[in-house]
Amino acid sequence: MTAASSAKIPVTVVGGFLGAGKTTYLNHLLRTGSARYAVLVNDFGAVNIDAGLIAQHDGTTMTLTNGCVCCSIGGGFLDTLGRILDDAIPFDHIIIEASGVGDPWRIAEIALVEPSLRLNAVIVVADASRISKLLIDSHVGDTVRGQFDRCSLVLLNKVDLLNRTAADAARATVAALRPDIQIIETTEDTLPVLPDGEVKATSRFAATAVNDSVDHESAFHRWSYRRSGTFDRGQLTAALAALPPQLLRLKGQCRIAGDASPALLQMVGQDWALTPAPADMTAQNDIMLVGVGTDALPDAAALDAILDGALIQVSQTHPTTADLNRRHAAFTL
Amino acid sequence: MSQDTIVFSARKIVTMNPSRPSATHVAVQNGRIVAVGSFAEIVATSGAKVDDRFKDKVLLPGFVEGHSHIMEGMMWSLPYVGAFDRRSPEGKLVQGLPDIDAIVARLQEAEAAMTDAEAPLFAWGFDPLHIGSVSLTRQDLDRVSTTRPIMVVHASFHISNVNTIVLQRAELDRTTNISGVVMGKDGEPSGEVQGIAARFRVFRVLGTNPLSGNLTADDVNRYAASSCIQGVTTITDLHNDLADLTIEVYRAASRRDDFSVRLVPAMASVSHSPEQGVEKIKTLKASNNDKLHYGIVKLVVDGSIQGFTARLRWPGYHNGAPNGLWYIAPEELPSIVAAYHNAGIQLHIHTNGDEATEVALDAVEAAQIAKPRPDHRHTLQHCQMADAAQFKRMKSLGMCVNLFSNHIYYWGDSHYELTMGPERANRLDATGTALRVGVPFAIHSDAPVTPLSPLFTAWCAVNRVSSSGRVLGKETEALTVEQALAAITINAAYTLKLDHIVGSIEAGKYADFAVLDEDPLEVAPEKLKDIAIWGTVVGGHVREAPRA
Repeated sequence: MTAASSAKIPVTVVGGFLGAGKTTYLNHLLRTGSARYAVLVNDFGAVNIDAGLIAQHDGTTMTLTNGCVCCSIGGGFLDTLGRILDDAIPFDHIIIEASGVGDPWRIAEIALVEPSLRLNAVIVVADASRISKLLIDSHVGDTVRGQFDRCSLVLLNKVDLLNRTAADAARATVAALRPDIQIIETTEDTLPVLPDGEVKATSRFAATAVNDSVDHESAFHRWSYRRSGTFDRGQLTAALAALPPQLLRLKGQCRIAGDASPALLQMVGQDWALTPAPADMTAQNDIMLVGVGTDALPDAAALDAILDGALIQVSQTHPTTADLNRRHAAFTL
Repeated sequence: MSQDTIVFSARKIVTMNPSRPSATHVAVQNGRIVAVGSFAEIVATSGAKVDDRFKDKVLLPGFVEGHSHIMEGMMWSLPYVGAFDRRSPEGKLVQGLPDIDAIVARLQEAEAAMTDAEAPLFAWGFDPLHIGSVSLTRQDLDRVSTTRPIMVVHASFHISNVNTIVLQRAELDRTTNISGVVMGKDGEPSGEVQGIAARFRVFRVLGTNPLSGNLTADDVNRYAASSCIQGVTTITDLHNDLADLTIEVYRAASRRDDFSVRLVPAMASVSHSPEQGVEKIKTLKASNNDKLHYGIVKLVVDGSIQGFTARLRWPGYHNGAPNGLWYIAPEELPSIVAAYHNAGIQLHIHTNGDEATEVALDAVEAAQIAKPRPDHRHTLQHCQMADAAQFKRMKSLGMCVNLFSNHIYYWGDSHYELTMGPERANRLDATGTALRVGVPFAIHSDAPVTPLSPLFTAWCAVNRVSSSGRVLGKETEALTVEQALAAITINAAYTLKLDHIVGSIEAGKYADFAVLDEDPLEVAPEKLKDIAIWGTVVGGHVREAPRA
């Protein structure tokens, strides 16, 4: 049932409050799309594509001459996305616009549970001239703050409307919400290309030049974790929760006691999922995980110790038949 | 009187027309009422033919359900597993199920009756709050089948429970902290799935979504049959994308002589830009016929109180839960409201929490100041938490309100204990306040969220008692039976701008009647919901309710 990892379609969700510039960014991506994008938008009317670039337009789907497709979510989000996934030729990238008062993470989770998809990035576009006020607005402050909770990149847009001091203040309010998050300052004319799935977050103190979407590798610390053996499912849940916030991503193969086949662990921020490992993933070790963190990431020994706590002791590495049956029974009764 | 005039005689006709409150005879011609009065007034002088089949019955205006959904007709193709008794479109009393074992037994019965071994089994109406907050686990559903996919949709329609085979096929049987894949006490997925991601995945592996299937003539016929059973002759479908296929199904149904209800669909604003929406409603309105009434738009501002997704003003939820969700941004609402207001379209605005009500009032106020429009009758739907100050603003702005009185019975205890606390729960769905302030109001069921039954809704507004027996604000907010009957007839028609043609029994209006065994004004108020309904008359066509 699981699609090979090479066939997984990357998904990017673009969120942010009304008027932040989501549609402008989506227009930009559609026009400059270097691959075959499927873009799902809330308001078709706001999409502004030169007539010369439109190959076909049937009222709910617009096909562009560069191969990209733009779909209106109006007829129902689940049905629209389902149609995109069922397209005869898989798209290179699916980009979804979240509602202005929606939580983009809720949509991003689709890419974590749908085996044919992988989550590339959750981008929040913020209007630099309004964001500080919106974050404390009595009606929508909680909604707007929540949009940043689990995004992987912030586009601080419309900075050309502000002087440097005001732009810095806007950046500081966003950074205060998510000290670890990468913030790119943008204007309508300087919107970035789609990030490549290795969106990296910077620490609050890392210098980030305007429009510099590539961070210096030195700002990040890597951590590798290799073990023979298996994790206990419950202990692993606890161990993952205990990992420090400076660890931004963790990914790789592992084994869970009671499961016949290896599992793929993917963790971004505090969110993680275990899925069956793709067949083409062959690791020497039973457990091989690679993490990326900020420059403040604790040393490897401390991190190792946390995950070691989830390992089943060597004597118990091979579960008894009874254990296996019990585990198995839980899902096949 | 002309040859084709029929005079129905009845034990009593409660007209809901204040200038002629009761009668014994009503003359009908070409589907409309010619005259209402006594034998002497109508028959003795004209010699018209009398149809006395209702001579032992009591006629009321056909009930008007101002807030319900076509989903009521769609759901009845699936087994019902809720805690309270419901009447099926075939007229069968479907017993409420008090515990998990009873739910499993009903599902087993439905499963045994299925012929296609692969087809998924869907069921609906479950609410853990109604059976002592007990969860329905995948292990429970595995007792029904380990090979056939099973999905039980909650009464809220936002949460579902599935069996293990569904989790396995969806590959959601792994430990994950994705919100929406709820873990059980054992740390494994419990089978409860909610939220967009899990729903998407489950519907994809099931290959079908019972909640978004294409509307069929059968669905609409079931809706009409349920209406007849409950004495309803005018019914809303208060949130519909109105896709071309739906429009065609409604058109075909409404043109049949034997179609026994007047349908009032509200276009969902969310699936249209305001410009498109205005144009679409204008076009649809031109296709109206006597049983199909387009012309209103529905906006949904927030979520539900018991789901903690309604937007509340300070001090918020009684149990400290975080504030709910906006479905329309407060700053976007004024422009949407203005677009429909300026086009002369009536707005029906869903606001459950009082913060949502506040921004809706602000938006209508701004629209009224920019372009004053007499008699717009924009109506707040649910509006369960409004206080007197908000009702006074509704009054000043010329608005109506349609209050969700059934909530008092079904979730009154939750509101008292969890969501609002005693003070606010006592003025939940404040019909008394609406009366005192003078805001025109209706009361509703939101079927299929709660059962379609205007007499039951009226009973809720009169008795204000929860399912556990707790009385909420009866001294200050309860209606008299007569006031409650107005709220399910003439006043509900008023909120739909249809009170000139339905809602009371008087000359000129459609001959739409609810045929009852007893007079609601004479039975004890606590028996109001128990009055037997024989059937309806719609446009002069007599329709006996199906009984099974």
